[in-house]
Amino acid sequence: MIAENTQTQMRKGILEYCILSIIARDETYASDIIAELKKAQLLVVEGTLYPLLTRLKNNGLLNYNWVESTSGPPRKYYALSDEGRKVLEQLDTTWHELVFAVHTAIGKNN
Amino acid sequence: MNKTIIININGIVFHIEEDAYEVLKSYITDVKRHFLNSADSLEITTDIENRIAEMFSEMLSRENRQVIVEADVKAVVNQMGTVEDFEHADEDAIPNPHINPFEHIGGTRALFRDPDDHLVGGVCAGLGNYFNLSPVWMRLVFALLMAFAGTGFVLYIILWIVIPKAQSRADRMAMKGQKLTLQGFKDNLEEEMSAVKDRMESLKGEAKPFLYRLRDFISELFYHTGRFFGTTGKLLVKIFAIFILIDCFLLAITMIVILAMILFWNTAPDGMFPFSIVDNEYFGWISVSIFGALFIPVLAIILLILKAIFNTESITRSSAMVMLTVWLFALGTGMYYGTKVAKGFRSVASFTQTAPLLNSSNNTYYLKLNDIKYLTGEDSARLDIKPGFKGTINIDDEDFEMNEPQNMDITIEKSDVASPVLVQTYRAKGNSYQNALYNARGTRYQFTQQDSILKFDRKLERISGTSWHDQEIHLVLKVPLNAVVVIDDEINRYVYGVDLYRCKEDNKKDDQNWAAFKMTANGLECKVDTLVIKTDTLNRVK
Repeated sequence: MIAENTQTQMRKGILEYCILSIIARDETYASDIIAELKKAQLLVVEGTLYPLLTRLKNNGLLNYNWVESTSGPPRKYYALSDEGRKVLEQLDTTWHELVFAVHTAIGKNN
Repeated sequence: MNKTIIININGIVFHIEEDAYEVLKSYITDVKRHFLNSADSLEITTDIENRIAEMFSEMLSRENRQVIVEADVKAVVNQMGTVEDFEHADEDAIPNPHINPFEHIGGTRALFRDPDDHLVGGVCAGLGNYFNLSPVWMRLVFALLMAFAGTGFVLYIILWIVIPKAQSRADRMAMKGQKLTLQGFKDNLEEEMSAVKDRMESLKGEAKPFLYRLRDFISELFYHTGRFFGTTGKLLVKIFAIFILIDCFLLAITMIVILAMILFWNTAPDGMFPFSIVDNEYFGWISVSIFGALFIPVLAIILLILKAIFNTESITRSSAMVMLTVWLFALGTGMYYGTKVAKGFRSVASFTQTAPLLNSSNNTYYLKLNDIKYLTGEDSARLDIKPGFKGTINIDDEDFEMNEPQNMDITIEKSDVASPVLVQTYRAKGNSYQNALYNARGTRYQFTQQDSILKFDRKLERISGTSWHDQEIHLVLKVPLNAVVVIDDEINRYVYGVDLYRCKEDNKKDDQNWAAFKMTANGLECKVDTLVIKTDTLNRVK
């Protein structure tokens, strides 16, 4: 139970960081994000992505544009806002610190 | 061959097979319920719906198909993830996917109204599910509670408002205490399928068609009423409309009961107005046409109210046409027979009989109402009176068969001869003079004299089988000069031209229940204080 909880916490943080990183590259559509996350085995189902994107957008980290689609309804293409870019830079720094910390901590085990 | 349904997902139109639609609908309902607590629920669910629409479009164009089948929906659900998956990965920390306050009160079962096993609103079935009892027991409990001043009814209504209906498959499973797993979904689906099969079979065979029809009818009503309680706008208007609706329903039911009584049990009594006017041969037709002419407008009002307040398509064009036609037909038939009946009152005829009376020994005449009913052979049979019955039958009931207007009156005049005479004029209406005369003759009036006591029947009786045609009898009692006529309170209202109360006042005997009049050359006059009536004579008369 505790292990599960920790795993979820770790995944959650990383998931947000990854989403921001993917969107940082280009304007992205949700299903493209999901494809990458699936490849990275971070997410399994699409449905969980939408609440995340909505929350990030409402926190001011993301913007989106409606883009007409040939198949189906118009799509939301997400991009980072200036705020989002700043947050991503901070997260980058934090991530490198974490990697260092983990390496240092676990490195002694090996 | 499969039935398809046209659906609209955020502006995109799809054709979808019926079973696929069921799966999709319950999936989307579950998803919406899941995100209901989230602040962005609308945006999230719209995103998801858009994505589903897009996936459908891609599938259809990729395989060049036109209709979405169940496999497509399943694929989409797989990709999108079930509510279970959301719960695992959810970082928006929705504590309880089902926001239902009744959920998980007593263990794993949730309280829902059961739409699959309902007679009325599914409350009893839902409670049965919750307590793991057969709904029959719950229904029995409610039926028993009804006996206590309708407690069961009120309780039912309250529960039915408060308890939500199980809408999605997830709800139904929670209701029955099943786990929200794929296996559970499968079990549930199979159970549903077999339930559908059972229902089809039971409908075919023994079934309880009336019960089911009643159930559908009532559940419709309750469903709409439920919708009404769900919305807050125009509440007052709707409450008012509901009241009218209930009134109309009661009216309609009353009409049906009356018609049934008339047609099947022949309850409409022979002598009761307005039934007594109508000849027996027209009776059924007139009842049915009056029923149709009144019932259909009530039905139309009911349907219109339903349509107005609940926005349902309760009246289709064709059913409205049928109703109009039936109504016009009923009206026409009613008018046809109505005219026939009315024609029966065109002519008037009368005939007169004069009966000589005996002189009373003391030249005094006591006018009394007959308190003995003369029974016909039929009456004797009905009341089980043996031939040779020696006693008297007293009619105590003042209103005995008094549901027709008074048809007897008495006028008192001076006799030209030395002995009293009673002139009886019978009068009636009919569609011709002959018929009117026939109607006048089809009557019976009893008058008896016992020395000084004259007894009059309260009313002119119709001979059984004759319908009411304003039959009347006018009696003129001619008494010799100086004869004394004693009138009591009972008969007073039948006697014209005398003022009993005034006469009592003049005699200063207000508490006395009779008054005496004397025949003078100028007609009947109140006799003041000179006549001595022996008390014992009066008592004997009584």
